[in-house]
Amino acid sequence: MTIKYQSQKIAQYFYTFAIILFAVQVLVGLVAAIQFLKPDIAILSFATIRTLHINALVVWLLAGLMGATYYVVPEESETELWNYPIALFQFWATVVAVTAVVVGYIVMGIFPQANISVLGTLVLNEGREYIEAPRWADVLIVVSVLLFLFNMFMTMLKTKKWTAIQGVLLTGLVFLALMYLPGMFYSKNMVKDQFWWWWVIHLWVEGSWEVIAGALLAFMLMKTIGAKREVLEKWMYIEVGLVLFTGILGTGHHYYFIGTPKYWWWVGGFFSSLEPVPLLLMVWDAFRTTREARNVTNKVGLFYTVAHAIFNFVGAGLWGVIHTLPQVNQWTHGTQITTAHGHLAFYGAYVLLIMAMIYVTLPSMRGVKEFKTSRAYQAFWWMTISMVFIVLTITGAGMVQVYMERLMGLDYVAVKANYNLWFWIIRAIFGVGFLVGTLIFVYDYFRLGKDQGLQKT
Amino acid sequence: MSNKAARNLFIFGSLFFFVIFLGLTFDTMKQIDGRAPEVTKEVDDGKQVWHKYDCIGCHTILGNGSYFAPDMTKVVEKKPAGYLKKFLMDPKSTNKNATMPKLGLSSKEADDMIAFLTWISKIDTNGWPPKPILAQAAGVGGAQQTRGQQVYQSQGCSNCHSINGIGGTSGPDLTKVGAAGKDAEWHMKHLKDPNSLVPGSAMPPYPSLSDSDLKELAAYLVSLK
Repeated sequence: MTIKYQSQKIAQYFYTFAIILFAVQVLVGLVAAIQFLKPDIAILSFATIRTLHINALVVWLLAGLMGATYYVVPEESETELWNYPIALFQFWATVVAVTAVVVGYIVMGIFPQANISVLGTLVLNEGREYIEAPRWADVLIVVSVLLFLFNMFMTMLKTKKWTAIQGVLLTGLVFLALMYLPGMFYSKNMVKDQFWWWWVIHLWVEGSWEVIAGALLAFMLMKTIGAKREVLEKWMYIEVGLVLFTGILGTGHHYYFIGTPKYWWWVGGFFSSLEPVPLLLMVWDAFRTTREARNVTNKVGLFYTVAHAIFNFVGAGLWGVIHTLPQVNQWTHGTQITTAHGHLAFYGAYVLLIMAMIYVTLPSMRGVKEFKTSRAYQAFWWMTISMVFIVLTITGAGMVQVYMERLMGLDYVAVKANYNLWFWIIRAIFGVGFLVGTLIFVYDYFRLGKDQGLQKT
Repeated sequence: MSNKAARNLFIFGSLFFFVIFLGLTFDTMKQIDGRAPEVTKEVDDGKQVWHKYDCIGCHTILGNGSYFAPDMTKVVEKKPAGYLKKFLMDPKSTNKNATMPKLGLSSKEADDMIAFLTWISKIDTNGWPPKPILAQAAGVGGAQQTRGQQVYQSQGCSNCHSINGIGGTSGPDLTKVGAAGKDAEWHMKHLKDPNSLVPGSAMPPYPSLSDSDLKELAAYLVSLK
């Protein structure tokens, strides 16, 4: 298997960057887990470590999605990329900007007073979860994303194929870019601040990113087992449609208790309860397509694709819906239950998605038909078993916290330090397991297709 | 269903729900200001201090944030302003068990932060966080309480101190305070003016307690062994 268009190789730059950040994310995540037991273990405090953990996550997933898109669009449009140098510039500009932001976080972690305000914005860290990146970086990110989208759009315009897969992919990416903007203005009122902040966070994770996931799922099923495009595309439209029908108004499940009107209890409760439906449909779609398959060309790719569909449903769907009703959420809101949901959702919906895309597209970029697959399976089981236990321990910690703090009235610090101690210990141990899986994956990424005795095409 | 029909359903259905969402957003924006006190300059300055030190990197506020440190929504109802100010400026010397690092807040920044957190505590959050069921119940039922226990409860001592695991962790644990060798007289003096016996103490004085209440409360504390 070789790639059809040389410019698709740009995807590898993004994948490599994504994977390095992934390793960083897991490493600092392990430090953060240990800081639940010994807060002073690192030079940097938990706040900085955690900021690095979640920002590395967001950036590496975005880099992975960009890489995947750079691969998919030329393939679907059946042409070379419109402008390769711009794509390469966009890549390096992103790397430089991200590195500068990370240095800023670390400087601020060591010298908190260095985070001064210039022209009304903080220069190192905006102090808003997930979108801590300062305003100057926001501008660079927007420029980078616009360059990327423009390049994609011009590539499609070259042949005007307008396939459904790339149409939905681009729709998701444009929606993603637009939904970054509500996070870019200052509001004096903290309630309004959080209201718009959720537009970014929720409409990314439970909106545009899931739309992109729907498009990539169809693409991967087509590539790995040669499933019929027409059928895949129809179900893709239905899936991503249901994602947005439930997900947009499902934003309301963040507006129960932050100072917003009570009608959000009805809107958020009803629509977010339905959010697992499209994710279940994606699982069914993956299984149905696989069952009908006669010709599996990439077993590992298919394996990761199906695993992504399943854990997307379990993590984002089930672990979300258990605490999405306001009557339940008033007890669980602001507890470790949310942390548990966050971990399994990001792992299932997006980490496995990017890994699946890598295993589906990388062999052709490396010019191999077959490759050694044992490491890919090892990485999967190390990571998945570890993540499942990490999530179960955090869920247990959250249940104890809800009962003791919210029902019995014990102090937050007392519950965390005494009654949750064992959960933190077990979580950190499985964190080591997850790191092992990650390192196997990183090694496999760099080795894939380079082992001895493989058939070249 | 044809692919074209599915595509149109996706496009127009999504737009339909987004328009509803925009309408609700518009209505919510009109209502938000009425659900909290006015944002004064101090509150806004305090909000900027909140962002400057990336407080959300550890804490939650209105239930959103990092789950590593306590939620700040109602903190001013639980902790006296004098304690909060000392704590914000130097956490570990105020409460030796504190995890929070000394971030270098100035006196003004600490005052602004308290103004911001006071404003936050007054937002109409639809009843969140709910009052803990058992703690509520313990105050109204159960065995007959001594006068000293009642004073302990009515003064909110348990917001900072804990006995047998129930209560706050900002102040010292009182489960065995009676075994520490301090007599009732010492406790009475300490309650009236903590600083006179423990220089630099963050505990607020309780000068308004009557002599009989002081005596009962001190007796109760001495009895904890």
